[in-house]
Amino acid sequence: MKKLLPILTLLFLSCSSNDSEQIVNMYSQRHYDVDQKQYDNFEDKTGIKVNVIKANADELIQRIKNEGENSPADLFITVDVGKLWQAADMGLLQEYGDKSLTDGIPESLIDKNGFWIPVTYRSRVLVYSNERVEKSELSTYEDLANPKWKGRLLVRSSSNSYNQALMSSLVANLGEDATQEWTKSVVSNFARDPKGNDRDQVKAIAAGQGDVAIVNSYYIGLLLSSENEEEVNAGNAISVFFPNQGEGERGSHINVSGVALAKNSPNKSNALKLIEYLTSDEAQEIYVNNTFEYSVKPNIEPNDIVKEWGAFRKDPLDLNMLGVRRNDAIRIFDAGGWK
Amino acid sequence: MNVKALTLFISLILLCPLIYLVYNVIGLNSENFFYLWNSLLIDYSLNTIYLVFLTSLFSLFLGIIPAWFVSTSNFKGKNFFDVILFLPLAIPSYIIAFTYSDILSYTGPMQSFVRNNIPQLSPYVNQDYLQIEILAFLMALVLYPYLYTACRISFSLIGSNYINISKNLGMSQFKTFFKIIIPISRVSIFSGLFLIIMEVLNEYGAVKYFGINTFTSGIFRSWNSMGDVDTAKILAVCLLILVSLFFILERYTSSKYKYNYKPNDNISGSYNLGKSLRFLINLICLIPFLIGFLIPLIYIVNNVLKTINLIDLNELLEISFNSFFLAFVSSSIIIIIAVLFQFLKKISSTRTVFFFSEIVSLTYALPGAVIALSLIMVLSFLSTNLLNLVGSSIVFGSIIVLVYAYVMRYMAVGISPLRSSFEKHPESYDQTGKNLGMSNLSLFKKVHLPINKTAVLIAFILCFVDIIKELPITLILRPFNFDTLAVRTYEYAIEEMIAKSSIYSLVIILFGSVLLIFLRKIINKSVNVS
Repeated sequence: MKKLLPILTLLFLSCSSNDSEQIVNMYSQRHYDVDQKQYDNFEDKTGIKVNVIKANADELIQRIKNEGENSPADLFITVDVGKLWQAADMGLLQEYGDKSLTDGIPESLIDKNGFWIPVTYRSRVLVYSNERVEKSELSTYEDLANPKWKGRLLVRSSSNSYNQALMSSLVANLGEDATQEWTKSVVSNFARDPKGNDRDQVKAIAAGQGDVAIVNSYYIGLLLSSENEEEVNAGNAISVFFPNQGEGERGSHINVSGVALAKNSPNKSNALKLIEYLTSDEAQEIYVNNTFEYSVKPNIEPNDIVKEWGAFRKDPLDLNMLGVRRNDAIRIFDAGGWK
Repeated sequence: MNVKALTLFISLILLCPLIYLVYNVIGLNSENFFYLWNSLLIDYSLNTIYLVFLTSLFSLFLGIIPAWFVSTSNFKGKNFFDVILFLPLAIPSYIIAFTYSDILSYTGPMQSFVRNNIPQLSPYVNQDYLQIEILAFLMALVLYPYLYTACRISFSLIGSNYINISKNLGMSQFKTFFKIIIPISRVSIFSGLFLIIMEVLNEYGAVKYFGINTFTSGIFRSWNSMGDVDTAKILAVCLLILVSLFFILERYTSSKYKYNYKPNDNISGSYNLGKSLRFLINLICLIPFLIGFLIPLIYIVNNVLKTINLIDLNELLEISFNSFFLAFVSSSIIIIIAVLFQFLKKISSTRTVFFFSEIVSLTYALPGAVIALSLIMVLSFLSTNLLNLVGSSIVFGSIIVLVYAYVMRYMAVGISPLRSSFEKHPESYDQTGKNLGMSNLSLFKKVHLPINKTAVLIAFILCFVDIIKELPITLILRPFNFDTLAVRTYEYAIEEMIAKSSIYSLVIILFGSVLLIFLRKIINKSVNVS
């Protein structure tokens, strides 16, 4: 034990920040390899070291909340804008103030309350079997309630936040009653109980267990760039369809991976510099080519694999609604029997 | 030293997050709770019961039967089996779940092979494997060693007397097993099973992936999906009460049927086997190892080889050190406390001591994330209200908090083997010691520590292996830029990059395996387990 003591002390001390060092503390729900690449890149450029804790968004929210005024958190980054809305709603964030941070980002992706800044976005799209479905059979999310899809739909569980965000957008766009009706019909069209992750839904189409699945766009990119030949085959057995693109329709549902400034951020100016970097053209290029997400800067083109699916119109819904309507969405899932 | 006060003090430190959680829940008025109660909880509870039942059943089969044969029969490969039957414990349940769903999936090796080589069979293997029964089996595959270990020790301690008597009475091996051995090993079987059940109850990652909603899913549904921490707390307390009842029941039955035995002679070779039976036994012992360890290991190694050029060795070493260090420190503390408790229980017969040394095991049933949450709550309460600790950030994101959480969480794993071992030794040891004028301390040093040495080592290794696999607590409470092997494995696995996660799971499994093989050696040497 005596020998351990110095090590323990060292570890204990290493957790407290050293004043002379330039740092920024990031609480992150994102855990992709590319993130570390971005932070290293940022440190090379500015000399500011990015300290990261990665966990699930709700756990990080609780940690920030309980740390209170002493919280070391500077930035909170999530893959679901609903969680950023929630953190703001709980008073854990502060407005970023500097409007120039969102220069070049389209109005529809910007937080009207001024708390979070979008870093990337992704669409929750439909994928369909090339063998068993004609593209012309697909149209909107709403149409998934059509009895023609009975026993053919695949989707993951309602505990998944991407599904919750999609449902929140439907509640916001269609109203509670209509969404409730829609959910009941969609559930009755399921090919199997919701399970697995997004990639599993695509594999299930390839396996013939269903014909149409609701998945996040970038998973298809990951599948197609997989080193496993069978996965690439599965990816080639399906095509991507952006719903609600017709005349007068609202566009496909999108969700933002965004970053926000914590209320008691101790290294605010460094934090703002990191936000500036993450939304820079250089960082955006790195994102699109590694995670197959979409850039928030219209001038940055998607990765080639993603580009092949074509351009699409985004649902212009205020993205905060994905958080505001979350509880309604959950209750609709439960009432409709979407496990 | 006042035994009561000491027990109380340590237990309170261990239980304070839990007490705070319960205290916090009293008087909470949660509309969502009734909502969940009405709409989902019955369904969730039924799923939980079914999953617990199936996993226990599979674990009983996989654990007890091999333990019986390895203990009582001489056959070729027996020593080999005795080592390898522990090994699946080295694999975390989320890794086995992710690995097998990958192996069995449409794009996985099994189906691809059939599709490309025996296409006529392809429709039969093209199934949806994400089923509750399969999950129960997979979890049993990595949890049964708890039962196996407990039974091996118990069977060996029984000694040959019982078996010889039953033979003289003309009972068959089958009858002896069910009528004599199982009843007198009840305490050990229960303690092993109890650990398994608690593991199943707090499992979340694998359960979620398989789309099965258990009671724990309910906790996370309210916390993560509905953003309602209060309801999550209420549900966690409900789970705690439920487990407590079960725990009391288990303790009650085991204290009613207490058997003391002297480790006498060897029971191995008690039964001679026919040829066909020998083959069957080999098969019975081989299957859990094959499916629970070898196949996933080969798959993981294959993945590591595929991604070998991506591995950063320095980083891997650093992360491995983190895992190792945390597990070592935490396990040591657990063992010290667990041994102390068992000893205090021996020398003091008050109810308080008994009660507190038992209930510290309860935290094991709570999901790690809930433990982390209650720890965060209690620390923030202390730092704002009582101590006014400036820079609570240091407290939160420090290794010390992490170790504290592990100790709370894994106390039961340490206590379990120690308790069965301490309880096995007759009280006459203590009385004799006292008659000889030994002080409590020397009684501990000269009698209890030596005769329970094996259990101490077993407890240490079990804790170590468990902590190395730990995930949710580490995720929530860790300091900045701090990763463990389990965290890395999980992060890649949930991002659907199984291949990249492999190197980290491989190190976990190797660490665990080495320790478990070592464990086997210790048992062999010191209790004359045969």
